[in-house]
Parts: sequence; structure tokens; C-alpha cells
Amino acid sequence: MPRILLDATEQLLNGLMYGSLYALIGGGFTILFGVMRKLNLAYGSTIMAGAYVSLIPFYLFGVPAWVMLLSSIAGAVAVGFLVELVCFRFLRKGHELAPLLTTIGMLIVIDEAIVHATGAVGLEYARPFGEESLAWGPFLVRPDYLAILVAALVCFSLIFFLIHRTRLGRAMRAVAERPQAAQILGVSLRRINVLTFALTSALAGVIGFFAVVSVGAARPEMAVWLTGKGLVVTVLGGLGSLRGAILGGLLLGVLEFETMWFLGTSYRDILAFLLLFAILVVRPAGLAGARAT
Amino acid sequence: MKRLWRIGSVVALGALLAWPAGAGAFQSEGTVRIGAMWALSGPGAFFGKSSHGLASLAIDEINEAGGLVVGGKRVKMQLYAEDDACNPEQGLAVVRRLATVDKVLFSLGPSCSSVAEPVFGTLQKRLDDPGDTGLQLLFFTDTATKFGLAKLSPWVFRNTPDEPAMYDFVVKYLKENYPDLKTVMVAYESDFAHSASTWKLALQPALERHKYHQVVEVVDWRWLDNEFGAQVAKLRRANADIYFSLTHTPSTCPSFRELHRQRVKPRIIIGVTSIAAGEVLRQCPDVAEGLIAPSNFAPITAKAKQVADKAWERYSADSHIHSVPAYENVHLMKVLIEKAGIKNTEESLLEDRRKVRDLLARVGTFQGVVGKIKMNPDDHPVRPRDVDKDMILVQVKSAKWTVFWLPANLKQN
Amino acid sequence: MDYYVAIASIVGIHALLGLSVYLVAISGQMSFGQQGFFAIGAYLAGMGTALWGLPLLPSLVLGALLAGLIGIVVGFPALRVRGLYLAIATYGFGEVVRLVFLNIRYTKTIGDRVVGPNGAEGFRHVRYVFDRGFTGLQFLGIIAAVVAGVAVLFYLLDRSKLGAMLRAVEEDEVAAATVGIDVTRVKVLAFGAAGAVAGLGGGLFIHFSSYIDHDMVALPLAIASITYPILGGLGSFVGPILGAVLLVSLTEGLRVLHELRMFVYGGLIIVTMLVRPRGLVDEALVLRAKRWVRPRPMPRGGDVP
Repeated sequence: MPRILLDATEQLLNGLMYGSLYALIGGGFTILFGVMRKLNLAYGSTIMAGAYVSLIPFYLFGVPAWVMLLSSIAGAVAVGFLVELVCFRFLRKGHELAPLLTTIGMLIVIDEAIVHATGAVGLEYARPFGEESLAWGPFLVRPDYLAILVAALVCFSLIFFLIHRTRLGRAMRAVAERPQAAQILGVSLRRINVLTFALTSALAGVIGFFAVVSVGAARPEMAVWLTGKGLVVTVLGGLGSLRGAILGGLLLGVLEFETMWFLGTSYRDILAFLLLFAILVVRPAGLAGARAT
Repeated sequence: MKRLWRIGSVVALGALLAWPAGAGAFQSEGTVRIGAMWALSGPGAFFGKSSHGLASLAIDEINEAGGLVVGGKRVKMQLYAEDDACNPEQGLAVVRRLATVDKVLFSLGPSCSSVAEPVFGTLQKRLDDPGDTGLQLLFFTDTATKFGLAKLSPWVFRNTPDEPAMYDFVVKYLKENYPDLKTVMVAYESDFAHSASTWKLALQPALERHKYHQVVEVVDWRWLDNEFGAQVAKLRRANADIYFSLTHTPSTCPSFRELHRQRVKPRIIIGVTSIAAGEVLRQCPDVAEGLIAPSNFAPITAKAKQVADKAWERYSADSHIHSVPAYENVHLMKVLIEKAGIKNTEESLLEDRRKVRDLLARVGTFQGVVGKIKMNPDDHPVRPRDVDKDMILVQVKSAKWTVFWLPANLKQN
Repeated sequence: MDYYVAIASIVGIHALLGLSVYLVAISGQMSFGQQGFFAIGAYLAGMGTALWGLPLLPSLVLGALLAGLIGIVVGFPALRVRGLYLAIATYGFGEVVRLVFLNIRYTKTIGDRVVGPNGAEGFRHVRYVFDRGFTGLQFLGIIAAVVAGVAVLFYLLDRSKLGAMLRAVEEDEVAAATVGIDVTRVKVLAFGAAGAVAGLGGGLFIHFSSYIDHDMVALPLAIASITYPILGGLGSFVGPILGAVLLVSLTEGLRVLHELRMFVYGGLIIVTMLVRPRGLVDEALVLRAKRWVRPRPMPRGGDVP
């Protein structure tokens, strides 16, 4: 195989693995938007809050990685409930712009809390997946990226099962499609909202663990990066479409890796945004959206 | 109507809070006011907080020894530290707050070069020219390192690293001591002014001047990037002997991990000056092992050890290349303020600043924590109002910064 | 005094940014990319005075014109996209502008200064205001005049046929089209005008700060620019101005709280939105204010639109 093809393949593999992290982030935004028709801009901070919570047992007792994963999920769910309570519960209906600002306020508060708790120093995180890349033939593959891919497969399988095969999922879909009708049929909107928050926050805990593992250290400013990627993927996929978010995440991942390798950093960023702009102009409701227009 | 009241209260709150309490001080109260603007909140707070600690320590030492003598009277030093959050717009407001509300004699900081740019750019450029309406506030900077900042205004003095000289020395040192290491690869942060200018204005010219090393690969990334696989794969292909990592801690640690993962093993790794602080040791001491960085500070003398210990004990502040200058600057300014013959009243503030400024411009050599420091005068052709000071090479060994190389004059201590 | 003048100057500059978002919003669009136009205006106006030796006013106009022109160019493709999709698409535009300025080098050596956009190292030495002996207060006067001028235009717009057309397009595009409003033209025009307003803000900013780099027109500025109209309210052009006044003076005013500053800042944003979910100056308040000015009951009742 010529070298250029080998390189392209290696970056494709990396892009797909890393893109599954983007897909997870986009998935979190998408589920919440799908059910509640609201954006949660504090989602990136929820992810980081989970990761930071898992640092407490790590630094105090040196717990194994699976305990950190669980404590990250627990921390993120707790913070998620707080976000729901403070930013969404008491907001009166019919104001689609207000939650943007309440969650921006929350983002500021959570980030500042992390900065003060840690002295604004990045903290070393666990590295449960080994220190060296695996050599697969001509390719080097990062074990932690493989773990992200597996985690994404597991999470999305569970989520699809939940949405399509359980009563709760049916209720969520009902609320997403026709909130008023769902309410008339006896579905409690508040209960569904809280449960949706619990679900997406648990996902945030998983993302927090794997994202910080892949970086090797927890830093508060990762929250903004996570939010940015999440929004792009959500919109790219078509707001509210989980399949679209997965597709969008993988596409963004592959695009970033290929342009980075072949063209360099400047083009990586510029092309990603130009592509976003172009896709939205050609398909105004994102990759998977046909209904929205 | 209730709602109107609520709006009213929000507006009133805003207006009330925007009006800070002004306090009378100066000579009559027995204080001399000094100011500082640092990043005390947000992601840049690590540097601001450590400078704050070291400056506070110096002020404590001066005040505990009885303060300073101004106009025959003993007065205490009082610090007005303002937070700019590493945000240029906040910096533009805060500098005026220091100058006209806090009414400080001079200011330390800022932490971030991106704040220093507009703040120094809006200071007076031509002394004594009433047609130049730039702000007249004296700065004695401890942290903002980007090349050329002190040139922006005669009111700016810096006790910060001289990066072109440092990297020139590093290149020469490598050429003399490791003549068989000839190939070089470089990584820098293309969206971070300090990192980009260290590459373009310090390291690249030095490599060209010495004509010894061959640059085989230069890669860049964004300073808040989290993924370095493609760039490191390029470094792996280049496989050079010497790796210059001109990056700051947030990207340095994860990129070092990636080097390790991809089994890239340069013989020598040189870091950016700012890396010689405690942050990298808390994030990735394992993969930073062996990293060498040019610095101006290491706890090599009894005095330096004592300062570092006290700063940590009292203020949990790290002593490093950017925070120790805050300590040195306060001590130097104490001497100059006593010498300048200032009146230390609200009315004489502008004249007082000017007197201290002129003394600082002529101060020449003064004693720093580890060695002598020389302040360049106003008419220095390249780096006016910047300092020359001893350079040290430090290295990470067993999760600690240790001395790798010392100049001869510091060895005798 | 200088401190309050500086705060007021920042308020004025940010108010223009907020008004720019507001102008797009009242035509039923949502832009998260006005910081891109701000950047275009800033770089061009800065080049005007610092590189080409133009006076301040033509430089500002030049920056605003180019920003407005690019606004029109962006307005056409943006027509196909709406709501949050448009917000993210325009954010993409803003980022592309930022990255372009990160890579542009166009400098001249004047005396011992290297002047002009210089990539990551930024655009230094835009010292027109200080070299010409403008005091902070005088420059604030210029900023205030520009903001007042734009505000008057908005006031007239609210009362004009064009303003009614904008609101009609916001309410119901299809209905607006059936009564003969050229929806495309109205929306593209709004985008262009909004670009010009943001460009004016940028031009004023670079002369206030003497320096700009790509980092100053990144995500935080984008967030700030949508915060002003949403918090201030979309009921009237007073809303975004009030939003800018409040938020900028809070950033500064809360300094007395030291460590707690940003906590309280974030908390106050949340509380304000919980109490006034449509912003401080919402449609209901505007209606009430109109009645207060003209106490006679409105002919067709006072239901909130």
C-alpha cells in the first residue's frame, strides 16, 4: 500500500475512534434537546464536574478506574440535577432563549468553582488503559481511544434500547413528538424532564471520564471545548436526531484528523467550520434532518 | 408594578456596585500605595496567584521591618491587587482603576501578554508630551514575557526573561556540549502569542545564527487542543535528536504523553521558559522526566530557598521564573521610593510616579534573589527597560526541578 | 474618573455589538457570529488610521462598510438556515474570520514600530486617539455619539415601514410574503446593517485599546454579544443597551467581592432570567411604557404580541 494511503487509513481509524467521543458529546446535547426542545450550555461543565468529582476518591484512596468511572457518573448526575433545578425547573414556558442564559450563568459558576477548588492547576488523572499505543501492523492505535469507541458502542446501544424498547423511552418519545398530547395521555412532563436530565448527565459522567483519560489531566477550560464540539455536532447532525449526532461526530472526527495530517492546524479549524457552514446551507436541517424545515 | 420594582432593584444594585469605595490614604495615613493587576480568576489564575503570593511576602517583610521612610516619616506599603481574569477588556478598565481610583504609585503585573498588549499600548508613549494622552502609570512587570512589550511605552519596565538571549545560549550550549546531536524538531502553539513569538523571534533566529543544527520538522497546534496524534506522528517520522517543545503546560503534558505512546524518544527535550513552574510537575511528572528548561530562578542559594519556603508556607504560592520577580520588584521599589524624594500625596501622584520612573530607568544593576540583575536604560537599542539576568538551565528529575547548568558566577555561592 | 470613562467606553462598544445581534433577531434570525463583523471592522479601521494615515471617521466608515458588505454576502446563504442552525452556522462564520486574521500578515515599519496585522502576534500601535491628544472623555464622547446615532436610527426604524416589515417577517414569514413583503430583501438587508453596526463597534474598540488579536474576538465575545439582547430584552432597542450597561458594570462593580466575583456574576444572570425570562425590557414592558407616555387606552386593546 502506498504511504499516502497508509497515512490516510491511520488518520481515518483515529478519526473514527476520536469521533465517537464527539458523537457521545453530541448525543448528550441531542437527547436533551429532542425531549425538552432546549439547549443546555452547561453540559460541558457538567461533564467536567463529573471528572473532577471522580478525582476526589482517586487522590484520597487511589481507587481503581471503574470506581472513578462510577463516581464520575454520580458526580455528573448530581450536578445535572442541580442544573435542572436552577436553570430549567422554575423557568416559565414559552421562552426559548432564557435557558441559553441561565445555563451560561451556570457554566460560569461551575467553572469558577473548579478554578477555586484546584488553584487553576491542571490535575493528573488516572491512565487505566496503558501508556503505549498498540502496534497493529503498520498502524499505531491508542488503547484509550479504542476504549472510547467501545464505550460509545455500549452507551448508544443502551440508549437506543431505552428509547425504543422501554415504557420510559416511549414516554420520552411521546413528549418529544407531542408534549401536550403526551400530557393528556397521563405522561408527567416534569418526571420525563428530570429523567432525561438524569440520563444525559449519566452520559456526561461517562464522557467526562473518557475525555479526561484521553488528555491525561483534568483542566477546567476543557468545559468550553466540550461545549463547542457538542454544539457543532448536534447542529451538524440535525437538532434532535440521535443518528444524525452520531454521524456528525464521526464525520467531524475524521475530517479533523485527515485535514490535520495532510494540511495542518490552520486548515483543520477553518475547513471544519466552512464544512459546517456549507452543509447547513445545502441541508438546512443538518445531516439527518428532513422534517425540521 | 412589582416587576418594575424588581427591575429597579437590579439596576440600582448594578449602579451601586459599580461605585467602589474610595478610601483616603497616602502620607497622611502613613501608607504608600502600590498596585498590581494579575489573572486571579479564570484558567490563567495559577500565574496570577503565585505572583500575588510572592509580592505579598515581600510587602510583609518590608512592613515587618518597620516599613519605608518617605519624607522623614515611616510609612507602610499597601497592596491594591486587581483581577483582570487574563481578559484584555477587563485589563483596560483595571489599569485605569489602579491609576485613578486606587491611585497607586506603580503597578506590578499583568500576568498575560495578551492583557499587557492593550494596557501598555494605551500608556503614554512620549514622555513630557502633553499632546500624548496615553495613561501615565508606572509598570514594573513580573510575568508578561512576550518579546518587545516594554518597548510599547517608557512607563513600562519588566523583570522578565530575555528569551532571545536564552535560546541563543541554549543553541550554543547544545552545539558545544552535544556536537553529535544535529537534527532538531520543534512544536509551538500557533494561536498563543508568547509561544509563537518564542519560536519566530527567539529560537528560529538563534538556530539560523549558529548554523549548526538542521531543523527537520516544525509542527504547531492550538494551545487549548487536546489531541496531538497527527503532529506527534510527524515528529516520529522526523525522529530528530533534539526536540524544542515551545508550548505551555495545558498542551505540553498531553503532547508528551503522546510522544511516549508513539515511542518518540528525542535525546534532549528543551521546554519554553514558562514551563519551569510547578504546574507541569502536578500534571505529568512522569513523562516530563528529563525535560530541560531555561529559567532565571531555582532554589540554589540559601536566600532563594528561604524565599521559596516562606512563600509556600504563608501564601501557598509557587516560587518560579515568573513569580519571584514580583518579590524582587517590590524590594527594589522600596529602595527607589525612599531615594526618589516623593511627596506621597494625592496631588503629587503624577510627579511622584515620574520621579520613581526616572530612578528605575537609571538603576543599573540590582540584587535579585539568585543573582545580580541589570536594568537596561531608556536608550538601549533593542530591549529598553528590560533586564539582563543570569540564566540557569533546570531539569525535571524525579518529579522535581533540579539544576542542570549554572553560570560560573553563581556556582561559587 | 478615567476608570468610569473606560467602563462607559466599553459599555458603548458592547452596546453596538448587542444592537447588532438585536437587529438580526428582530428579523426572525439568530446570529452567533457578530463578533466576526466586529473583527472585520476593527482590523480595517485600525489599518485605516495606523497604516494608511486616514482620519478616524473615514476609517470607522470604511470598517463598517466592509463589515456591512460581508454581512450582505453572508446574509444570502444564511437565508436558507434558521433558528439554532443559523446560530451555529454564523458562529462558524465568526470562527473562520478569526482564523483568517490569525493567519494574515500585512505590516509596515513606521519609525521603530512594526504596524499592522501580524498573525498570532496581533495588531499593535493603533494609537491615533492618543497621538492626536484625545482624552478618554473626548473619545467616550465619540463612542456615545455613535451609539446615540445608531439608537436614533433604531428609534426611527421602529416607527417606519421597514421596521414594521421586519417585525412582520419575524412574526410570520409566509404571511409577510403574501402581503407583498420581499422577505429575502428584508432579511439580507438586516444582516448587512447588523454587520455594519458590529463593524462600527469593532472600529471604535481598536482605537480604544490600541491593539487587537484573534483571541479577543473568540467565543467569549460571541457569548457576551448574545447575552446583552437576551438579558436586556428584545422588546425594544433599549434592551441590548441596558444589557450591556448592566453586565459590563457588574463585571467591574463586583470587584469589591474579590474571590466571589464571578460566582455572583453568574448567579445574577441566572436570577435575572428566572425573574424576567423574556429579558428586562420585554414586549409587555414596552407596551406599558408606551401607555405611560400616552395614557389613553390603545385603540385595539393591549394584548401582548
